[in-house]
Amino acid sequence: MNAIVIVARKELRDAIRSRWLIAFAITFAALALVISRVQSDSGGLGEQGFNRTTAGLINLCLLLVPLLSLILGAGAISGERERGTLATLLSQPITSTELLLGKYLGLTVAVWGALAAGFGGAGLLVSLVEPFTDIGHYLFFVVLSAALACAMLSAGLFVSVLSDNRAKALGAAILLWFFLVLAYDLGAIALALAVASSGRALTAVAVLNPVEAIRIIAVMSLEPDLEILGPLGAYLTERLGTAKAATLLGGAVAAWTVAPLAAAAYFLRNQDA
Amino acid sequence: MLRIEGVSRRYGNTTVLDSVSLALDAGSVTAVVGENGAGKTTLIKRVVGLIKFEGTITVGGVDVARKGKDTRRMIGYLPQIPAFHGDLSVRETALLYAALKRVEGPAAHKRIEQVGLGDHVDKKVAALSGGMRQRLGLAIALLADPPLLILDEPAASLDTRARLELRELVKDQRGAGKAILLSTHWIEDVPYIADHALVLDHGKAAFQGPALALAASGVTGSRLFLRLNGSSPDAIHVLESTSVASDITRSGDWIILTCVAADKARVVEALVRAGVHILDFRVEEASIDASALKVHAADGARQ
Repeated sequence: MNAIVIVARKELRDAIRSRWLIAFAITFAALALVISRVQSDSGGLGEQGFNRTTAGLINLCLLLVPLLSLILGAGAISGERERGTLATLLSQPITSTELLLGKYLGLTVAVWGALAAGFGGAGLLVSLVEPFTDIGHYLFFVVLSAALACAMLSAGLFVSVLSDNRAKALGAAILLWFFLVLAYDLGAIALALAVASSGRALTAVAVLNPVEAIRIIAVMSLEPDLEILGPLGAYLTERLGTAKAATLLGGAVAAWTVAPLAAAAYFLRNQDA
Repeated sequence: MLRIEGVSRRYGNTTVLDSVSLALDAGSVTAVVGENGAGKTTLIKRVVGLIKFEGTITVGGVDVARKGKDTRRMIGYLPQIPAFHGDLSVRETALLYAALKRVEGPAAHKRIEQVGLGDHVDKKVAALSGGMRQRLGLAIALLADPPLLILDEPAASLDTRARLELRELVKDQRGAGKAILLSTHWIEDVPYIADHALVLDHGKAAFQGPALALAASGVTGSRLFLRLNGSSPDAIHVLESTSVASDITRSGDWIILTCVAADKARVVEALVRAGVHILDFRVEEASIDASALKVHAADGARQ
């Protein structure tokens, strides 16, 4: 069996055993059910039910998915280093890049499993209570959450490789989460507006943050005219066009997935175990 | 099987390993000896590819720096402190490393039983004692029946009986044609388990040659503590008349002396023959006097 698959299987098994996977699946499902219930109470699910549920879930998931993924990624290598098992693993017939990719693959499947079980289970329950016509947006939202998890896991692993121990890695991961999810809107966008108050500048700021990119893609899927996003929305729809904008933002998320992982592999390869 | 040429390692201005070279053939054992911090573990980690280095290391003709994964297929490595995932059982741990080494499950079980962990396969690694963890590490090192065994302080956390078993294991593996590189600070073990010795002192090779020559050099000392039955003055006289004991001092009921590691039994024998009644004795682990070794080596060179 390929060394990457062996490590990925172990990572997945560890995730299931530690029960965080189940805990997060239940959290995601509970959130989806609560929000759909609120939507139901305020006008019924029916035709727009999933659409409203999706809109309600976006902001919550833009908080939770990065937090979960960054923390998991940050603990992956630093935890092994702290336990002394990193040297044990790297003294076997496996390269540091294979180990890193195995960990990434295992954690990605684990987070995807939690998202699928949580949102899938909730979606199934909602559909049993109320007939629906618009499940597409809901499923697309789940896919976007999975893509965001990929980018954030990659960033988490990068932090992990550069950290001496697990505590430092988790601290750095939480700081990164705070910056990307909470501080970015206030800081970076304000700066962009101060420097050049244009849709182009705001777009540039958006592609530098995968959380922001995913949020805009989600909004685009729900409200294609993007009026809700003001000058940024106007620039994306009028100057770039929806397809080009979606490609640009999707590319940014893909770059955020590949670049930190590649950098992590480089640094891990050049470190002493 | 293993060639180390001019391997060095520096941390800033500190030289941890200074141009060390070594050749190890199949069916032979080389012991790397030295005090803590001499560079033993650093050298071993180089061979396994865990840390970067200057110089050249090849295993079976394959360059460690360029094809580390391929060379590690030929290596069974037992670290000084084996670290495994505490939440995995002994069986799961063995199967994980067996998969990485492309070894079938039944062969992994066989190794676990060989090292005496057959009754503990379902026990979590976290629940194992230090000695049992050492055995698990040994089983994993032996998993793929590798041609090169690298054992870093394999006797460090073993009791005397287990140390003797380890000697047998090394002997068996050598007999099976394995090349074995091991580090130890148990100087006494070296003539029994190794064909050659490399003594490191502050990262430099202070001695390199047959293990028996190291033992005969007289630079490997043991500290002997003897509690006698009220006959200390006589005993000191007896000891002073022998040529094997030095630095003889008295502390209460105890006599403390230094002797060559291999001469401990001669000291006791001399006392017993003189009718001195030994009530108790202790041995402090043998140490190596690297400065004396250099003098010895220089003397040897002059002769």
